[in-house]
Amino acid sequence: MDELKTKRGGLGYMIKIAYRNIYRNKRRSVLCMTAIGLAVFFIVFMMGWIMGMYDSVVKTVLTFETGHVQVFTKEYFAKEDFIPVQYPVEFENGSVDEFIDEIGKIPGVKAVLPRIASYTTLTDSKVKHAVLWGLHIQKEFETNVFNLKEKSNGLIKGRYPLENENACAIGRKMAEKMGVTIGDSIPLKAVSSQFSDKFWNPEIVGIFDFDYGSVDTLYIIVPYERLQKILSLRNKAQKIILYLDNPEDSEIVKSAITELIAKKGNSDVIVKKWQEHQFIDMFKQMASIYVIVFLVFIIVASFLIVNTVLMMIHERIKEIGMMGALGMTRLEIMSVFFFEAVLLSILGSFFGILVGGVVSYAMSLYPIDVVSLSGGMEMSISNTIFVKFSWLYLLLSFIFGVFVSSVCTLFPSMKSAFIEPVEALRN
Amino acid sequence: MVKKIIMFISLLNCIGLFAQSAEEIINRVDNNEVYDSIRYEGEMLIRLSGKEYKKSFFSYGKGTQNSFMEFTNPDDEGTRYLKKDGKLFVYSPDTETVMPITGHMLKESIMGSDMSYEDTIDNDKLTVRYSVKIIEESELDSKNVWVVELNAKKRTESYPKQMMWIDKETYSVLKAELFALSGAKLKETRNLNFKKFGNRYFPTESEMRDLLRKDSKTVFKMIKIELDVDIPDSMFSLRNLER
Repeated sequence: MDELKTKRGGLGYMIKIAYRNIYRNKRRSVLCMTAIGLAVFFIVFMMGWIMGMYDSVVKTVLTFETGHVQVFTKEYFAKEDFIPVQYPVEFENGSVDEFIDEIGKIPGVKAVLPRIASYTTLTDSKVKHAVLWGLHIQKEFETNVFNLKEKSNGLIKGRYPLENENACAIGRKMAEKMGVTIGDSIPLKAVSSQFSDKFWNPEIVGIFDFDYGSVDTLYIIVPYERLQKILSLRNKAQKIILYLDNPEDSEIVKSAITELIAKKGNSDVIVKKWQEHQFIDMFKQMASIYVIVFLVFIIVASFLIVNTVLMMIHERIKEIGMMGALGMTRLEIMSVFFFEAVLLSILGSFFGILVGGVVSYAMSLYPIDVVSLSGGMEMSISNTIFVKFSWLYLLLSFIFGVFVSSVCTLFPSMKSAFIEPVEALRN
Repeated sequence: MVKKIIMFISLLNCIGLFAQSAEEIINRVDNNEVYDSIRYEGEMLIRLSGKEYKKSFFSYGKGTQNSFMEFTNPDDEGTRYLKKDGKLFVYSPDTETVMPITGHMLKESIMGSDMSYEDTIDNDKLTVRYSVKIIEESELDSKNVWVVELNAKKRTESYPKQMMWIDKETYSVLKAELFALSGAKLKETRNLNFKKFGNRYFPTESEMRDLLRKDSKTVFKMIKIELDVDIPDSMFSLRNLER
């Protein structure tokens, strides 16, 4: 008897009935699955899009702004938007070059790259202001990939300036705007660390495209030593950027540098990890908001499944009465309706991740032009971003879709369990 | 009726007298400040955001259209400026090239100071550039002053309006406020010291504040001044600039 009861009222039997019930009203089932599928598709795509944007922000910030760890002075940090050269890192006990050598020996440090950025006024030009960017060009390109779209050094014409050369490379957009090309000079004025006007006339030897709007439009790449000399920054550094073997070691390296600075006795010098950059921090905070958005989406889609379950119950009210009269328990009746809804959620979610996965994968290969979409974004983000495809996102979206829809159908399913068989049969 | 006419005529006289006086005052100011030629050594003390920078230089000037200036402090040594026939050029020792300073560059500050390049260009007599009127008689630093409003005659003037506090005794400008076309106050200058050359009171130390910059002021000092000396024209040549 027990064996028979298990066989007839077991979980598998309930699921089988629920599965068959899906085909009783195909149109309604398809509609219900489509709603869940669309919601899950949206989640898969949005996760890929957001994580693609996050990756783009991280890569851009690491490459162009912070590295994995950066060293500068408190005053510089307070006025960072103006990229002042008047507050450089310098030590009474020892030179900055020694300091750079010492931090280069910290385990896990791949490269130490001092950089200088300074606003400049261009004379006799349609572009009035730009940023002079002093780099150890050779070393930078050995460490970094500057064009994140093409995964190249971004050079589209000519070459990059050699160390200490009276030359520069400018962005494609800037060259177009100014109407200049290789061989032309850019007369400009910069203000040194001692507030001296420094007039300079570097020759353009290269044109680059980093697929990063603000750099392509504003930056003039010049040899580090040359700019260091012009801006009276000898034995000083505006900012020191570090790249690590493992970016997650930034805290350990930061502590080691902080100890080194304490020994050198300049409390004005501070160290920051890449994770402390405002855009990265902002994106992390936004992650919780996205979860809420996804939740709202799936709950809205689940209303359709809730409605479907309620309609099924009303439609099959006599059947419920009969099931009760034949001896099915309340839990068994409820589980028939619940499993039908869960099966619809599973099928809908599956189609959602299938379509979402295909679209995300395709868009992970072909980048999207963010600038043309947004009309120019003032963020640390490249002009084009790749949607991120990940099996994990598909799995998470599937589980999220099934779980939320199932929870939503639990309560309407319970309604079926409390219908009196006699009342149901009379109706 | 007769009373009213007399009052009206008196009022016209007053306005007439004031206008004449204002012109006369500014003429006297010009006589104090405008020279045929000048040679001096100078210092510029720039204070910005709690930091202080000192620049030293020597300068020559002839008339209102020609001047030459060379910086001598270590960081700017060899940087030279030439104003020739009202046009400004710079020689930078870092690149050993001469560059003209034109257009929007003229609005830029000189050596990070509160003074812009165009401030150095406008040397013509005030009476030529501005129409003047006396606003009131007042007191400044325990001195009796005229407060005079100057409105530019030409639209191209860097400061369309200026207010000046002029010492009644010496006809020296103690304070001036410089305004934009919109009416916004851009700069404020104060002459802190004067030296008497014959009948003229020549300002030798002044303080300028660019009000668009936060926590900033520049003190401009002239030492070893020689007025109306003989300076050869070759001093104000491009060849001398890039020598």
